[in-house]
Amino acid sequence: MRRAEDMRGRKVCPMCEGAVRNIDYKDEKTLGRFITERGKILPRRISGMCARHQRQVGTAIKRGRFLALIPYIAGHEA
Amino acid sequence: MRDYEIVYIFGPALEEEQVTERLDRFHGLLTGTNGGEITATDHWGRRQLAYEVEGQTSGYYVVEHFRAPGEALPEFERALKLDENVLRYLVVVNEGDLPTTPVPPRERREDESEDDSEG
Repeated sequence: MRRAEDMRGRKVCPMCEGAVRNIDYKDEKTLGRFITERGKILPRRISGMCARHQRQVGTAIKRGRFLALIPYIAGHEA
Repeated sequence: MRDYEIVYIFGPALEEEQVTERLDRFHGLLTGTNGGEITATDHWGRRQLAYEVEGQTSGYYVVEHFRAPGEALPEFERALKLDENVLRYLVVVNEGDLPTTPVPPRERREDESEDDSEG
């Protein structure tokens, strides 16, 4: 996966590509794309984001969790 | 004076009227002699919570933007903490848009063909 990517050069950060200027912690739909079904934050190697956007998304996810918009832990309902 | 954004989560038992009443009371701690102003109030209304907060499964969300001097906040937040109907709240400094990074144009490699098959 990574090797094919390395040969082609790094993929461009999806957030930079959309020229996203403001990652909103209240937008749980968008944030949902960056968490696993378990509710974990996707690492950069999966999300493909640049360092700056990864940090912003991470912060936004943590705020969203605090406000009960997204779960801290998901998908273990018995 | 700074721009802030606040999200309140009130208990689900409250009606819109009661929420507005409380907000007015809280606003008093920011506006008037304290020199702040409320610039926007958005009632999201009742929403399912992603997990239980204080035994509740839903809450009444309100998002507000306001300008206020930082000194007014401790008093304001104390009032929020004292109100049992506020399940949770979050105040963040509203920094507006973040700087963009220019995106390098997608360069096509010379040997990149239409079929795009990777070995």
